[in-house]
Amino acid sequence: MNTQSPGPDFEHAFHRSAERHERVWIFCVVTMLLLLTAGTMFYAVYDYGVVTKGAAFHADPTAPARETAFQDGRVIQTGPNAYSVYMVGHLWMWSPSPIHVKQGAAITFYVTSTDVLHGFEVQGTTINLTAVPGIVGTVSYNFSHPGTYHIICNEFCGIEHQAMIGRIIVDPATRS
Amino acid sequence: MLAFLIAGFTALMIGASIGPLQALNYGGINAYPALHPVLKSYYQGLTIHGVLNGYVFTFFITSGLLVYLPARELGLHPNLLLWRSGFVLMAAGALMLLWSMFDNSSSVLWTFYPPLQASAVFYLGMTLLSIGSIVPLPILLEMRATWKHRRRGELTPLVTYMSLVTMLMWGLASIGAVAELLLQLDPWALGFTSTVDPIIGRTLFWLTGHPIVYFWLMPAYVSWYGLLSRQAGGKLVSDPMARLTFVLLFVFSLPVGSHHQFDDPGFSPIWRGILVALTMSVALPSLITAFTIGLSLEFAGRVRGGKGWFGWFRALPWSNPGVAGQVLAAITFIFGGATGVVQGSWQLDNIVHNTIFIPGHFHVTVGSVTAMTFMAVSFWMVPHLTGRSLISRRLALASVWLWFAGMSIFALGMHWAGLFGVPRRAWISALPPSEYHTLYGMAHVPLALVAIGGVVLWLATFCFYVVFFGTILFGSRGTYREPIPFARAFGGRESYAIDLPLTDETTPVGIVAHPALSPLARTLEHVGLITLGTAVVTAAAYIPILWPFVHHLTHAPGWIVW
Ligand code: HEM
Ligand SMILES: [Cu+2]
Ligand SMILES: [Cu+2]
Repeated sequence: MNTQSPGPDFEHAFHRSAERHERVWIFCVVTMLLLLTAGTMFYAVYDYGVVTKGAAFHADPTAPARETAFQDGRVIQTGPNAYSVYMVGHLWMWSPSPIHVKQGAAITFYVTSTDVLHGFEVQGTTINLTAVPGIVGTVSYNFSHPGTYHIICNEFCGIEHQAMIGRIIVDPATRS
Repeated sequence: MLAFLIAGFTALMIGASIGPLQALNYGGINAYPALHPVLKSYYQGLTIHGVLNGYVFTFFITSGLLVYLPARELGLHPNLLLWRSGFVLMAAGALMLLWSMFDNSSSVLWTFYPPLQASAVFYLGMTLLSIGSIVPLPILLEMRATWKHRRRGELTPLVTYMSLVTMLMWGLASIGAVAELLLQLDPWALGFTSTVDPIIGRTLFWLTGHPIVYFWLMPAYVSWYGLLSRQAGGKLVSDPMARLTFVLLFVFSLPVGSHHQFDDPGFSPIWRGILVALTMSVALPSLITAFTIGLSLEFAGRVRGGKGWFGWFRALPWSNPGVAGQVLAAITFIFGGATGVVQGSWQLDNIVHNTIFIPGHFHVTVGSVTAMTFMAVSFWMVPHLTGRSLISRRLALASVWLWFAGMSIFALGMHWAGLFGVPRRAWISALPPSEYHTLYGMAHVPLALVAIGGVVLWLATFCFYVVFFGTILFGSRGTYREPIPFARAFGGRESYAIDLPLTDETTPVGIVAHPALSPLARTLEHVGLITLGTAVVTAAAYIPILWPFVHHLTHAPGWIVW
């Protein structure tokens, strides 16, 4: 145990400097966290579009899917290049799929499920919304790049969960 | 105590042998058809992995450790009847869970979100396991009361204090899951009700599911603050800071559980904003820990003759597997903390939510910090309890280094692939190869890393169990029993030192309290008030969230679809 005691002087000095650094460290940490928080709040306010918002609640989980919008409309044009998509997740597919739109399309998705939880994730975008039976969630997004986007179910929903893939095809806006 | 260790590590052994199969799955290798007699699907395996590692393993070790260490520190006998009944409850629960998971009746994953419907045996087993895990709380309260009665006006010794705060946190936190089980799922699975409300279940689950992260972490911190500095040959730099860390973790962890539901419908933006702020504050105690533990280790290293900027780090007793395991665990935690902040912020969360970024994150927290710390603890505790010495110090070292290396590779791959949108919990290797390629081809390199990391982890697991069971069964018996390495705090007036003489098994450990008490530590003695305050804040955070859900009940029937 000789190495254990290099003298009380060393211990004392170390403790003094530790206490000094402790204060500086805590100050830095608090400042950093405040900045980070302010930053995220700023984003939160400015980037409303991808924020998911609750919509209607239903007692019967299959009720939303029986509404007309979910049944026939499905992809409804609401403006020059704006659409509402009524998306239903059920075991184990997304409908409607595939969806064809033009580059630059602004789509508002109304998402629900008729059975268990599903996860509405569009790969390569910030769209990420849980499809909950009995609740219709909303999310909007601007598809400004052409290409094929995959809708991937990211909430476990049974044995074919990994194969629950949908497609959104965004055609390039070549002709005006 | 040995029973808790053995039960916990046995669960981990089963769970951890399935983990690498999951890693291979992400690398595109589907091992499940070959395993069909045992595991019907990836999802059955994943349920077993999550439940055994996440709940059974951690609950057993923690319920043992957080009673045993305080009892030794205080020199008191714990209420053995209670402690044993806790063990029996958890063991019965664990057996029921195993039964219902292995017959593939309950492949609902460890989050068991309704309306996926598992068997009643599964939910009842989960109920018993959860209730059993709260039993240390009354034991600790009783021991602390006895101790306080004998030594009026003194502060609760550090290890007991940290254990108690952890259990108080868990006592409050578990209300969510226990309520979900008792009020919703048990009656539903037994057939008393025919439907459940999915979003209420999910919200109650996360009331527990977020703080459980701290229930995994805090026992590891108990060892880091309470023991590690002594094991490394130094002293704990600041005792009040350790207390403050625990209280902050307690206060901040509870109200923010619903940040796991940022992407659920039905959450108002204002709540999201508040939750982001609170979630960020959880980083504060972790950063204090990084500082205090780092400094304590630096002191140890310098005392051992380390010089210069990094010399102290090299001078740590790396040949001691009990120290090496914990220091490596602390290093992985730095990554864990950084990626945690990413998830906390709302915008980034939209990108990584439910991708394999998330399991990447919790394998560098619970999967390394907790698992490695518990492994490291077992390296001194098994000899301490059985009087047998480790059968191989080398192999023990190899297991923690391999674990560290494997986890780093694995987690790097998981985080990186998550940014490509690779979903978690997906049997992607069962997809037709062309489909796998179009969807996840661009994440080829990170997914390969995941698989490689998994294989390294398999090796690590193997080494560990040879040492663990080898020592229990065949380790050479000696007369000398390794003592518990309770740390000493240092400093003058500010610190409350728990300067203990190193005693052997037979003499109860006495406490020498420092006469000059720190005002901070003294304030933090009021754990009752702190608990009450946290409970009020948590209720305030949850009532507005649950309110619209309760007013718009959904009656969803159950689904068995695996
Ligand atoms: C032997 C090393 C391990 C490997 C290779 C491994 C691998 C994995 C992988 C690849 C996943 C993701 C599965 C998916 O999302 O589809 C996973 C999930 C998980 N792991 Fe591990 N793991 C290991 C050890 C651990 C440990 C030690 C713990 C906890 C103490 C743990 C707890 C979990 C949990 C809770 C999940 C989540 C399950 C779910 O999403 O339902 N794992 N593991
Ligand atoms: Cu699905
Ligand atoms: Cu799914």
